[in-house]
Amino acid sequence: MAIDRERRQVLGKLLAGALAGWLTRVPLLAGARRGRPKGTAGKGGASAQASSLPDVVVARRKALQRQEAAPTPEAVADALGAAIARATGAKDPVAGLRSLLRPGDVVGVKLNCLAGRGLSPRPELVRALVGWLLEAGVAPRRIILFDRSTRELRRAGIVPSIFPAGVRVIGIDNDYDWTPREWGPSGSCFARVLVREISALVNVGVVKDHDLAGVSLGLKNWYGVIHNPNKMHDDGCYPYVAHLAAYPLIREKLRLTILDGIVAQAHGGPARSPKWTWPWGGMIVSATDPVAVDATGLRVIEDRRRELGLPSLAEEKRAPRWLAEAARLGLGKADVERIRLVEA
Amino acid sequence: MSTREDRREFLASLLAGGCAACLLSGACGIDPALAQDAASGTSLIPPTDSDLPLSPARWWKPLDGGRIECGLCPKKCRVADMERGMCGVRENRGGKYWTLVHSRPCTIHIDPIEKKPFYHVLPGTGSLSLAAPGCNIECRFCQNWQIAQVRPEQVRTFELRPEQVAALARKYHTPTIACTYTEPVVWSEYVYDIGAVAKKAGVRTLLVSNGFINEEPLGDLLKVLGAVKIDLKSFREKFYKEVCHGELKPVLETLKRLKKHGTWTEIVVLVIPTLNDSKEEFRDLAKFVANELGPETPVHFTRFHPSFRLRNLPRTPVRTLEIAHDIAKKEGLWFPYVGNVPGHPYNSTYCPGCGAMVIQRTGMAVLENRLKDGRCPKCGHEIPGIWS
Repeated sequence: MAIDRERRQVLGKLLAGALAGWLTRVPLLAGARRGRPKGTAGKGGASAQASSLPDVVVARRKALQRQEAAPTPEAVADALGAAIARATGAKDPVAGLRSLLRPGDVVGVKLNCLAGRGLSPRPELVRALVGWLLEAGVAPRRIILFDRSTRELRRAGIVPSIFPAGVRVIGIDNDYDWTPREWGPSGSCFARVLVREISALVNVGVVKDHDLAGVSLGLKNWYGVIHNPNKMHDDGCYPYVAHLAAYPLIREKLRLTILDGIVAQAHGGPARSPKWTWPWGGMIVSATDPVAVDATGLRVIEDRRRELGLPSLAEEKRAPRWLAEAARLGLGKADVERIRLVEA
Repeated sequence: MSTREDRREFLASLLAGGCAACLLSGACGIDPALAQDAASGTSLIPPTDSDLPLSPARWWKPLDGGRIECGLCPKKCRVADMERGMCGVRENRGGKYWTLVHSRPCTIHIDPIEKKPFYHVLPGTGSLSLAAPGCNIECRFCQNWQIAQVRPEQVRTFELRPEQVAALARKYHTPTIACTYTEPVVWSEYVYDIGAVAKKAGVRTLLVSNGFINEEPLGDLLKVLGAVKIDLKSFREKFYKEVCHGELKPVLETLKRLKKHGTWTEIVVLVIPTLNDSKEEFRDLAKFVANELGPETPVHFTRFHPSFRLRNLPRTPVRTLEIAHDIAKKEGLWFPYVGNVPGHPYNSTYCPGCGAMVIQRTGMAVLENRLKDGRCPKCGHEIPGIWS
């Protein structure tokens, strides 16, 4: 089975490489169209591209940008499916997810539901993801949707009744493995379900401002699996966000990062502040580079802040310095000039 | 060897009168008899985060956009809506700041007052000792991390209002209530209210703290406190930053303010091999105490045992503690002690005038108190402290 998986991955990568030249001609983020640094597929030579997947995939849809009506499940699935397929170099999201998993994996989907409905991963997106995981052969009991509390999951609309029978929705609710573990400059007890059960992680965050960390995207979402996140918020969460994501319990299990940016928030986070939200109408996905995902999300937020006439995060002295630290730790690329970003 | 040594130490602790309640229920538990009293009519089931009790926090100010700035400790956490400060026990909800631990202790015992340790406050008495969860720093060697380095919803708590605390102290004839085990600064509202009620009931309230607190809340607390013990983790900023996630300077300021206020203060220095055990550091620390606080300030050099996130270092050699003691003596301190080494001669108090032993202790037990009206029975030298 392992050989099958490797074969699929190689084929996927070849397919991705073949498409890369065409994709570089596609305008990417709004900022790129306006002449800002865009995805740099092409740098590093064609041979390097041919052998690797894109760092980041952005999937935006007009159907997700309507203010007047909630996006349909079909529109959400269309964007997410295309992004996962593109990020994994597969023909569709099911094949893509299958390529990321090993037989018998227990898949933990870490959500960020702190802000409640409207600025948490939306149920339609999570349902689509779960559906594809099931199609990819993951048994329902081996799919765990989790966040730090049942209350927050419920407030975001993530409840067991909207998923197929057997899929587990778990609030950590202080069920930690009470053995302190050292990570980077700090130490924590980790969620028992992560320590004992989950073997593969999908990180599903949002695109939002954070009062202290600068932004809360993918990497910051891991604060939700430790018992003492309050200890890691001083000094702009630096360097904690990076070192926590580098901890083997997370790093070695992470398969996919998804940011739900259908609605994003440029200021006033981490709680939901409708004054600062807007329908960005897309998703940011990567199967290879969780740092590039955050660097891309950061750019989305900074662009919006500029449009609104807000000072940049750096000007507000809360630029996410942990992003460069994450790159230094080898988790991925923080420099947008080097990120190979494609649109799906 | 190690087993025999552990056994000897365990027996010595028993001999020393280590708190029976602690031995029965664990360091982070609840004295069964007290729990029965304390919890009558209340639930001992751990609360979920949705039903944590809220009580208005003091010492904060609002900022723009619904954020607040906490003024309790030098961290001055800026807290957005739905977020908590570093202590994890104070939360912003809708632009107002709340404490989640007022009247919600997680631990209650009757300890010998020497366990705090206070060696110059009512020796040989019991102290009703309680803690609510939380701490505003994070020592890698925290001895009570299961209650200090957690959020309130992660530990079993029960309701115990300040007047109930005072009533328990009266019932069990403890002349003091000690706010201890975790970091009472982060539950200062509760400490203050306990102190105010207890004072009226003729019971002194003691604070066992890291001293990491701002001037205004400290000033308020001192209106109701009887004595304070400060854990001076080290005399180096580097240590505070790297090992404790804190700062030294504000702690030294607190010590000076306590001195200025006239509050009886004792200092504990947990000596950790290779981290804060140099002679230079002992000397600097002793000079500071002698010059800024006065030679009468007791300083307890206590033995480290591996704990929490610092398990790769050995226990402190007794000789190191003796060196610290000797340096402190040489720098002019009258009352340096050696702690966590039951039976050591430096557990006892000696008259700074004539050198006679005036209080004989082993560990937490007072074997003999020879003081007469707070003076040395041999030469009449006044021994500073709270003796009645």
